[in-house]
Order: sequence, then C-alpha cells, then structure tokens
Amino acid sequence: MSYKIAVASSDGINVDLSFGEAKNLMIYNVQGEEYTLSETRESIAPPAAEKSAVGERCRGCAPAATGCGGRTKAEIVSDCRCVICKSAGFNVRKQFEKSAVSCFDVECTIAEALDKITRYFSRVDGHISLKNFK
Amino acid sequence: MAKLLDKQRYKCAMGAMQTVQAITRAIPILHSGPGCAQKLSDTVGSSGYFSPNIFPCTSINEKDVVFGGAKKLTSTIENALKVIDADLYVVLTGCIPEIVGDDVEEIVSEFKDAEKPVIYASTAGFKGNNYKGHEQVIDAIIEQYLKKSDTRQKGLVNIWADVPYQDLFWLGNLRELENLLREIGLVPNTIFGYGRGLENIKKIPEAEFNLLVSPWVSVGNMKKMERKLALPYLHYKTLPIGAFETSKFLREVASFAGVEPEIVEDVITRHENYYYYLIERYADMFLEARVMAKQFTVAADAQYTLGITKFLANDLGLTPAKQYVTDDTPKQFRESIKKEFESLNYGIKAEVAFETDSFKIHNEIREHNYHGYPLILGSYYEKAVANEMQGHYLNIAWPVQDKVVLDDFYVGYTGGIRLIEDIYSVALQRFN
Repeated sequence: MSYKIAVASSDGINVDLSFGEAKNLMIYNVQGEEYTLSETRESIAPPAAEKSAVGERCRGCAPAATGCGGRTKAEIVSDCRCVICKSAGFNVRKQFEKSAVSCFDVECTIAEALDKITRYFSRVDGHISLKNFK
Repeated sequence: MAKLLDKQRYKCAMGAMQTVQAITRAIPILHSGPGCAQKLSDTVGSSGYFSPNIFPCTSINEKDVVFGGAKKLTSTIENALKVIDADLYVVLTGCIPEIVGDDVEEIVSEFKDAEKPVIYASTAGFKGNNYKGHEQVIDAIIEQYLKKSDTRQKGLVNIWADVPYQDLFWLGNLRELENLLREIGLVPNTIFGYGRGLENIKKIPEAEFNLLVSPWVSVGNMKKMERKLALPYLHYKTLPIGAFETSKFLREVASFAGVEPEIVEDVITRHENYYYYLIERYADMFLEARVMAKQFTVAADAQYTLGITKFLANDLGLTPAKQYVTDDTPKQFRESIKKEFESLNYGIKAEVAFETDSFKIHNEIREHNYHGYPLILGSYYEKAVANEMQGHYLNIAWPVQDKVVLDDFYVGYTGGIRLIEDIYSVALQRFN
C-alpha cells in the first residue's frame, strides 16, 4: 500500500517549519519503508474575502496566525497519511483529525523522521508488534 | 475461540497509582496515555491532598510511540518537582512506553540528585493486575529508596496488608492491626494513610521484622526485604476477623516477636471477655435469625474470602457453601490457600474456587441449593444475583457502589463485631 507524507521544511533537509509557517509542503510518496519526493505543494493562505468573521479574530491555528486559513491548509494535505512539521496549532490539528491525518511535530532531519515514521506505519499495516520499536 | 471475562474484580497494574496515593504526600507521575488515570481512578473519595485522577502525566500519543517519550517524561518529572509539593514522586509506566521500549530507568536515574526522591515502577497493564502493580510499587521503594540499616529499633514491626483502595477497609484495618500490636507491647510501623508517609518508609529497615497479613499479596516484597535489608518476616495468611482468629493471630505474632506469653494472654482475655459479652447479649437474636441463612458464599479477593469464611464458620457457626476467590491469585499460592479453607473448626471444610469470571460465579450461585435464603458477601456485582435469589447481601469487596467506608474495619475483635452488626442489620431488614 502506498501513501503520502507532507513535510514542512525550509531547506529540504531539516523539519524546521511550523505547519502555519510553511509556504510549500514537500510531499513524499511511500511504498513500504521506501520513500521518494514526489512533489512540492504550494500552501496558500486564503484570500481575505474568504475568511469568516471569526477568522479575522481567531489566532488559534498556528504561530503564523493565519486565521481560518489553517483549515484551508489542512485540506491541502487531506490526501496524506501524516504531516511532519516543527509544530502545529490546536485548531489545525483538529482539522487534521477530521481527515484522519496524523501530525508529528518534531525537530530533526527529514530523513530521520521519514525513516522512523515509515517503519512505524509499516509495522502497523503489517500487524507486527511494536515491541522494542526503538 | 476467544475467551470473555465477565466483570473482573481488579484493574490493570497501573491501578497501583492508588497504592502511591495511599502514601501521604507521595504522588504518581504517569508515563502513559491520557485516559489511564481517569479509567483507573475510583469514583468514591475523589478528592484529597492530591486528587486520585489528576496526576502529572506525559499523555503520550502516536508521536511518542514513533520518536520516543523520553523528552516528555523528563520535562514532566522536572515540572512536577517544580510545581507539586510532594515528599515522594513515583513514576508509573503504562503499556505503550513499555511496549515500545522507553528506558524509564535511565530517565529517572537523571533525577537521583533531585531535592525530593524520584523512583519508578513498571506497571504496564499487560504485566498483571493492580495487586501485581501494588507489589511493583513496594518493590520500587525497596530497591530504589531503602538502604540496609545497622541498627534495629526494639519491638518495631512493619505491618503490611492488602492493597489500599482496592481493599475498601484498608485504612481502618491497618490502624486496628497497629492497635493490636501496640497492646502486646510492640511498636507498629505502617506507611499508608493519614499521619504516615516518608518518615515511616525510612523506618522500615530499622524494624525487627516484617509482618505480612495477606494470603499472598506482597509475599515477594517480604522476600526482597529479607534479602536486601536482612529483615525476617512473619507471613500470617488469614486476615484475623473475630475472636478466634484474632487470638490465634496475636499468639503467633507474640511468639515470633518474643513477647512474654502472660502479656499476650492478658490482652486476649480482656478482648475475648468483652467480645463474648456482646455476643451473649444478642445470642437470642443470632439463634432466631438462623433462618436468615443456613449457608453463605463469599466472592471476593483472597484475603476477605478466606478471612470472612473462617470468621463465619469458626465464630458464628454458619456453614460455608462454595467460596470464590476472585483476585486472580498466582498459581503458586493457590494450594496453600486452599488448605486454609479446609482447616476450619469442627472439621468443616469449605470448597473454594479461584475464579475471575463473574458469569461463571453467578451461575454457580444460582444453581446451588442454599436450603433457604443465601447469605452472599461480595462485590457490587453480586447484588443482582443476591436480589434474584432473595438472599442477604453485603458489599465487602471492590467494586463498591452502595457503601461509604471512611475508616471502618473488619479486622480484629472489634472488626468482627462490626461485621456481625452489618450482616445481621441486613438480615433484620427483611423481617422488620
């Protein structure tokens, strides 16, 4: 089974951006424990006219405080199995949950994160015990 | 085919957070998922110096499974030390970190120089129930906190009994055991409940011996202390309820401790005189109320099933039907406990089953002919079957839903009287 993982990174090496800060998201395609960069997806903040009345005041989505833009950004990765970023706000996490997208807020290299996460999903999908996973 | 366990009477090992909570000013730090404490806490008595379900917790999630929960645990311990005014911090691990292999021992060892002691106990649910978890916490205290003492305090005896909070009467029972030992000239030391705590834990290695009053819980702890602290132990298997067993208990403890027989006999005589004075005053009622139940069944953990069966048979002359031990007693202890049930007075032997499945227990109770109204002592789960059979029912074991016990107790001479009061109050309500 193949799936996608979205990564927020400024340099393509480290996971160093919060989900709100990332203007682009790197989308990796994963097959088993093998992963390849398949595309870079633009993460666009919504136009002001599309924001709700609440959105102007709400600062709960991310450090970037994009108002209800967080919801739109979450929809951008709704076809991914998980998102890897430095941090993510409470509201955007709720949006992820609605699309069954996991969120891993870590600070490490992309390679390290992908190695661990793909190994984890591989075990979960294969019904293999997580005993002594680390 | 999958097996179903209906209404088990224990929790997972992390229920040992109640053991920690029973130590005044000790607090558990949970390395577990966010729902464990809520699921494991009892609804009765949910406040106090530390609430029983609001503990520092790492609230681990999927990310911690993949990347490890070490950082989160370190920061949770650091912050607990900063904001919670406790004397002892006990890290308890849940299933998830134990499965994925978080090295909790190493993380906790980083706090060995902290101002307050921080220890850890492995209490993953898959390792056993909360009886096992209780033992794990005591083991943690022995291994990580206690040091062998070169001095011994004359007459000092550490008393250990069954699991706090799991045993509804734990506090009262411990205090009454203390009183009994004090009366024969010994100095009791317990670590649980009001007015006890870290200072009492520190005294443990200075005792002359450990006294364990339980069919099996904490036997491993006693052996560990014997090895590490050179503390001998007396294992008294039966919770002494009523005159017969309590007098036997006092004689055995006195003999082990080297107390003069005259002293202990004086104490026994004084207590027994009063005990039988009370019984005599109500002898007519006991005789008339024979109709209440010819046979009784106890379905509880090993300590109450054994203790109450002996009490009802030896002191009140009731006949035991089949008895049920529901605490998943480890196999190595079952034979010796069974022998206790076979050595009741007047040559009476009680049949006992080690059974955790309430469905089976209740079916057997239904099918048994009690030759009248059954007397059923057990957990809240027995209430429905007792009502169905128009029996007399008393809730004496976990889970408890229809009773409030602050510091009541069933142990000792006074405890026996309390149990008689409770049983016959139930019986008289039928006729009046």
